[in-house]
Amino acid sequence: MGEKKSRFQLSEKQLGYLFVLPALVLITVITLWPVAQSFYNSLFDYRLNDPTRNQTTLNYQIDLERYADHYFFYGRDMEAAVEASVGTEFEQAITDIQASIQNYHEELTTGELQEQYEIVDEMVFNFEAVNDTDLKYAQLEDDVAEGYVSIFDEAQVVFSAFQESTEDEDVSEAISVASSTVDRLDRAIVRPNFIGLTNYGKYLTDARMWSAMGNTVFFTVVSVFFELVIGLAVALVLHRAFIGRGAVRAAVLIPWAIPTAVSAMMWSYLYDGQTGIVAHYFAQLGIISDPSVMLSTGSGAMASIILADVWKTMPYMALLLLAGLQTISDSLYEAAEVDGAGKIQQFFYITLPMLKSAILVALLFRTLDAFRVFDLIFVLTGGGPANRTESISVYAYKVLFGQQNFGEGSVLSVIVFVSVAIISIIFIKLIGSELFEGRTARK
Amino acid sequence: MRKKAGVPFYIFLSIFIFVTMFPFLWVFLTSIKPPIEIFSGFNWFTSNPTMDNYQSAVETRPLFRYIGNSLVVATLTTVLAISVASLAAYALTRLPIKFKGTILGIVLAAAMFPQVAIISPIFNLVQGLGLRNSYMGLVIPYITISLPLAIWILATFFQKIPFELEESAKLDGASPFQTFRKIIFPLAAPGVFTTAILVFIAAWNEYLFALVINPDDSWRTVPVGLSFYQSQFTIPWGDITAATVLVTIPIVIIVLIFQRRIVAGLTSGSVKE
Repeated sequence: MGEKKSRFQLSEKQLGYLFVLPALVLITVITLWPVAQSFYNSLFDYRLNDPTRNQTTLNYQIDLERYADHYFFYGRDMEAAVEASVGTEFEQAITDIQASIQNYHEELTTGELQEQYEIVDEMVFNFEAVNDTDLKYAQLEDDVAEGYVSIFDEAQVVFSAFQESTEDEDVSEAISVASSTVDRLDRAIVRPNFIGLTNYGKYLTDARMWSAMGNTVFFTVVSVFFELVIGLAVALVLHRAFIGRGAVRAAVLIPWAIPTAVSAMMWSYLYDGQTGIVAHYFAQLGIISDPSVMLSTGSGAMASIILADVWKTMPYMALLLLAGLQTISDSLYEAAEVDGAGKIQQFFYITLPMLKSAILVALLFRTLDAFRVFDLIFVLTGGGPANRTESISVYAYKVLFGQQNFGEGSVLSVIVFVSVAIISIIFIKLIGSELFEGRTARK
Repeated sequence: MRKKAGVPFYIFLSIFIFVTMFPFLWVFLTSIKPPIEIFSGFNWFTSNPTMDNYQSAVETRPLFRYIGNSLVVATLTTVLAISVASLAAYALTRLPIKFKGTILGIVLAAAMFPQVAIISPIFNLVQGLGLRNSYMGLVIPYITISLPLAIWILATFFQKIPFELEESAKLDGASPFQTFRKIIFPLAAPGVFTTAILVFIAAWNEYLFALVINPDDSWRTVPVGLSFYQSQFTIPWGDITAATVLVTIPIVIIVLIFQRRIVAGLTSGSVKE
């Protein structure tokens, strides 16, 4: 028994490390590693919808599944092309190409890849999908791959010259079929797509990137400013005893707790030019010229987004500041009163300084949140009209998943990340170590 | 500062609550109007209230399926995040390990990472694991949102538990794990529960990952599902408002029941969502 106990007894310290380990592993795997991966991806010409560039690779690779699949038809189609060329000036060129491709194919499939190719070929023949990436892709020697690719290019040149010279429809047909099978073989070879900082050069001089950045900064500054001012005012008003605190707290929390996408849908109804009541009343009050301007003009749409965001997150700001207010001792105000300080003086000399760290913490988290704004804009305006409300996250989403361009989209992801890091560093410099206070100390 | 409130105060309060609740109020009033009235004017109240919009909202799209998906994903995320985070928060506040500041710094930094910066590798990861259009496919990335949040809030709550209780348990011969399970965890239960609510709400509200990873209609979560109610030719505001009311109700109930705890959690962690 005693032995058993000592075997399982870890020291407090070891236990401590054991306890933090799962959290650290998870954070590393799903936050730190992906950020590093985004940096890495941004250095490549990496497009999901282009088979020759659908992975990041520093070397030539071959997609054996694709290759085996198309090589199966290649023999027949090339044979037809050779037959069609008999007796023409292209006969020699085309038989040469056929022989070269034959050579390269043999070199490829009898060397060290032989076994792997046979397995894949067999699977393709039985219409099985090759899902194992290690099996599906193989590395190619640079010179072999380059040679093979240059034969494909040469073949395309010859084919198109042939196509132009002939008027016989059957010949033309055979050539175009052969040309497209060769093209498919070509696409099975994945090129090294490392392009270094080229993508960054492109996006740092991209007008749309800078306008998205401008929109994001404008949105962040304006909405966080209004949230802070209104939130502080609301917190000061609520900071007293009154009947119905619970009701107020619930009313304040509900907009915060509703999914942003859902509130964006609600606001898109309220702003709608035909049926939207907010647009209707704004127009009647003379704030806007016509109900339709809320979502159909750039400045109207930006104002709409800011209003919706302030409505949604001001309560959160007010709650944080209210909590801060409650930590200020009443005796400070009493002393100030005795010394003859007015309400305004009390606010500037007691409330604001005492609230400083609460305000900074709230500002930090709100600024970061506002800067990475996505769902509100995506659902409410989609970035429109004419990209006037497009935030940098929305732009990144469009490049990543709209254009399926992971290389260039990652550049935008990295730009968002770097901006957020800069904002955090500035705020943490201002807040200092107060953020960590009381959390790490063992009393 | 704490004076009794006067009449002007209550007037201000009523206006404030009205402005805050107005969008919900209007959406609810619209949801019971017959469609013809929605498009024809701005009457506040309809004289022919109807449930047609609700019927159409659940028939045109699998709204209950969305709610079910969100429930499963948010619950799984909450359970996973809380179990991992409470161990970590306990070690960080109570056990004599080194690099506490560094670890908390990493956790805080992870909370600040913009989701769009990690979305493409996460997409590849989930795709590679064959988990697109599945619950686990969302739960895994949701850990990124919820774990840092949970660790920070839990650390604050654990910190408040008097150290003496633990010392005396140790003197009585309890192992650190027993102390954690029998002393700390029950005492911290209210804090754990608070954290769980916040993690649940954060997972319930998430949009970007859900949009990218589970695009299949039967796997969509509530926020994504609702944002796809627009049809090609007209916008079915009746359906949308009815669906909004339906998906808002669970959150409103949660907020009404747990408002005190939510406020405690928000202010102790100082972290949004």
